Amino acid sequence: MKFQQIDQFAAGLRKETRASVYDGSKKGYDARTKTLFDHFEDPDRLRRVAGEIKQHVVENLDTYLPQVEAKLRANGVIVHWAATAEAANQAVLSIMRARNAKKMVKAKTMVSEETELAHFLEKEGIECVETDLGEFIIQIDGDHPSHIVKPIIHKNRREIATSFEKHGLGAYNDDPQTITRRARAHLRNKYLEADVGLTGANFISAESGRLVLVTNEGNSRFCLAATKCHIAMVGIEKILPRDRDLALLLNLLARSGTGQQLTVYTEFISGPKSPAQPDGPEEMHVILVDNGRTDVLASDCRDILRCIRCGACLNVCPVYRQASGHAYRSVYPGPVGAVLSPLLAGKKFPELADLPKASTLCGACNEVCPVNIPIPDLLLRLRNKGKLEKSEAAAAATPPMGGWAVMASQPAAWKFALIGGKIIDHLPHKFIPVPALQAWTGKRTLPDWKGGEFRKWMKNRPRPNPALDTPENTR
Amino acid sequence: MNTTDREAILSRVRGALAPLPRRAPLPDWETELIHMRTRRGDVDAWALFQERLRLVNGLPLEGAASLVTWLEQNGWTRGYCDPELWPRLQAAFPATFTVETTFDRGRVDDYQFGITRAAGAVAETGTLILTDGATSSRLAALAPWVHIAVLQRAQIHVDLQSAVTSLADDSNIVFCTGPSKTADVEGILIEGVHGPGQQVALLLE
Amino acid sequence: MFGIALWSLTGRVVRISVMLNHDPLRPSGKRVQLMATCLCDAFYDDVARATVEVLEYLGCTVEFPEGQTCCGQPAFNGGDWVASRKVVRHTVKTFAGDAPVVVPSGSCAAMMFHGALLEFEKENDLPEVEALGRRTWELGDYIFNGLGVKTWPGRYDAKIAFHRSCHSRGTNSGPAIVALLGSIEGLTVIPFGEGEQCCGFGGTFSVAFPHVSASMGDLKLDHIQAVNPDLLVSLDMSCMMHLAGLAEKEGRPIKTRHFAQVLRDSLKNAGLL
Repeated sequence: MKFQQIDQFAAGLRKETRASVYDGSKKGYDARTKTLFDHFEDPDRLRRVAGEIKQHVVENLDTYLPQVEAKLRANGVIVHWAATAEAANQAVLSIMRARNAKKMVKAKTMVSEETELAHFLEKEGIECVETDLGEFIIQIDGDHPSHIVKPIIHKNRREIATSFEKHGLGAYNDDPQTITRRARAHLRNKYLEADVGLTGANFISAESGRLVLVTNEGNSRFCLAATKCHIAMVGIEKILPRDRDLALLLNLLARSGTGQQLTVYTEFISGPKSPAQPDGPEEMHVILVDNGRTDVLASDCRDILRCIRCGACLNVCPVYRQASGHAYRSVYPGPVGAVLSPLLAGKKFPELADLPKASTLCGACNEVCPVNIPIPDLLLRLRNKGKLEKSEAAAAATPPMGGWAVMASQPAAWKFALIGGKIIDHLPHKFIPVPALQAWTGKRTLPDWKGGEFRKWMKNRPRPNPALDTPENTR
Repeated sequence: MNTTDREAILSRVRGALAPLPRRAPLPDWETELIHMRTRRGDVDAWALFQERLRLVNGLPLEGAASLVTWLEQNGWTRGYCDPELWPRLQAAFPATFTVETTFDRGRVDDYQFGITRAAGAVAETGTLILTDGATSSRLAALAPWVHIAVLQRAQIHVDLQSAVTSLADDSNIVFCTGPSKTADVEGILIEGVHGPGQQVALLLE
Repeated sequence: MFGIALWSLTGRVVRISVMLNHDPLRPSGKRVQLMATCLCDAFYDDVARATVEVLEYLGCTVEFPEGQTCCGQPAFNGGDWVASRKVVRHTVKTFAGDAPVVVPSGSCAAMMFHGALLEFEKENDLPEVEALGRRTWELGDYIFNGLGVKTWPGRYDAKIAFHRSCHSRGTNSGPAIVALLGSIEGLTVIPFGEGEQCCGFGGTFSVAFPHVSASMGDLKLDHIQAVNPDLLVSLDMSCMMHLAGLAEKEGRPIKTRHFAQVLRDSLKNAGLL
């Protein structure tokens, strides 16, 4: 392994893909900045308060989870708990089996990506159709999403048109409007045939037990208008204390993710349909999913559980923009993924411990995060963890620091190195077998060595203030 | 239901939180925090709503006659109407229209428009609020190309905060802000993905 | 800064990542300790010289603790906190006393008042590390906010592009330096595209992710070249070493300076030094 895996992936990325990812994420970031700052006097205060609210929830889940459960039950919702991905999938399957249901339409939910629900159900003989346009295209392509809110940010219209043609959705036509109309016609039949609609939830209010779902396409609304049973798979950290907190978070979510004031559909669901309503679920299930979250809660990176999955950190991240989401080899790409994915991997942490290295620690992700997660600090903690757990993935191409630390804590050795370093100017760089130097000079020149020059000047120049000629300074 | 998973999760949560010397407090925040710069307290809510609805490509209309004219201009003559609303609207619709008061899910594409009642609106965002209580059919408000939500002045909230803190006692409340849309393909905005491609707010007093 | 310190003393997770700078205590007197940085020690002697000259012009007496080496950041960022703590402990010992420590680098300053606190969270000597952090200043922040010097004399005829290095995010350094540079007669600070984006250096990142690092740098250089400045100026020689190295390798005509050099040369141009 020569360089870090993500760097190698980025180096091999097609120019076209890189351009799609770069343009798409930059557009999202620009729109975010514009709406937030146009609309609010002090958007940073909104982020800070929202972050405090979510941190409070995370640190009080022992109180909020039973509270949410009780509210949901009182609202007529059947509540399930799933400690693992397998348990969550099994819970869905047993609901389907109990209803003798064979077809499911599903809206976009990140937790179902974690559990790979669609694949699981297909294996069990259940048709599970992704209804978000991007996710639908991912599904027919057998691909993976590469962005939290824009799953096909890495694809262009020509690739989409080709796969539509291949899957019997009309002759090749790469007009985005035609693509969308064809998906509309195809998917509305799927909604109407399905027995069960599955969604996630962006928030649950502990006060009222309302689930909040946001979409632009209206696909989750269609799932809940056409089917008779609603299953919501929800991560245990999605809680907000009060209904009024929903207003604050909703003001931030769409603006941060896509630069919209509000998404087109914001649904507040607190149970099965009203008795007089002809359409929609008569039965509603909520599956509260852990799948590694309690491990994160026990770690010193629990702040990441504040995340509301808006994608703003992906959009602003210069590494994500160059590498694309697939480089992260996991459900969550970008800065949030670099923290969350290795943590959720449990025992397989060392395999993903290189993800936290994929950052210059520039801090842009923290600056845009609607819940003010200190992502760079968390990345740093995970780098330390990767080192302590001797992850090979994390160690790749990272210069060893032990010898340097010895030298940098011995002034005599340091001064010797400053003088001795001059040799670097006299040897051809390609013959110096230091991988870091090779990596540096492969792309850049190295400035001339001036080791010790400043110290000489400082010592020999006329003292501007002789009173300062302390033994320490003249030594 | 898996009670062991419940106990396992809750005990892990308690175990994870036990070492914390103190827990983060719940901050209180003043409503002004989320007031938009452009907030105008004394504004006519309907006027502001119209302006904002247009920004999200929705269409505000006043009176049944203007709705009929607009539908005719676009050649949309087949649709659905909430049975409770129809008696009030029927007189404005000429015989060239076919309007049904039950929505047949077996032929959703036969309806070019659906007329249902809104439960409210949010002026600052151009949002229509639909509820199970007010909407005669969820599908009729979603599947046809055009959705017309009938609204009264008194139902309009000025801002999101006011709307979210006075949610109706209804198990299904939907805030609709403009027509259904996507930007999944190359970031290009396309309206009318799964839901309506035209969202109309019809003021009817 | 104070808030962070108090929280971490209670054993609580430090959760403010915005790099808040300094407690409200202002430096007493003008005796300062210079942390020259390892990069200036090895490559950029003139930047350290300029820093001394600028501080002395302002009436400071500059002490240079000879035992200094590095702030510990390379190992900290690389994940080797055991190695990094060793170096930080040395730095804490070297910069004993209570004089402000001034650093011509936003990144080394942030290492002292933010990064080191993270890696010492569970260490017994956290208070000593915090104490050094509290009196460490990035040069521009020290001049503008510490000494209260709001405009800079002299003359410097140039159109400059200012690269706000990322470690100054959330600190007072960026605005301070832009204000100082902007106040120099003859000097214009010109904006360029995507100015908020990172240059791609990132410490060990630059050698572990050479492709992404260079692509980010090229993007930055493209934006800078598009506005055709006379000079590219920053508060961090690490960013400059990366950008200048790329520019030279690719044959781009971009000249780089540290802002301390610009301040010093502005004085020289007007005969003030």
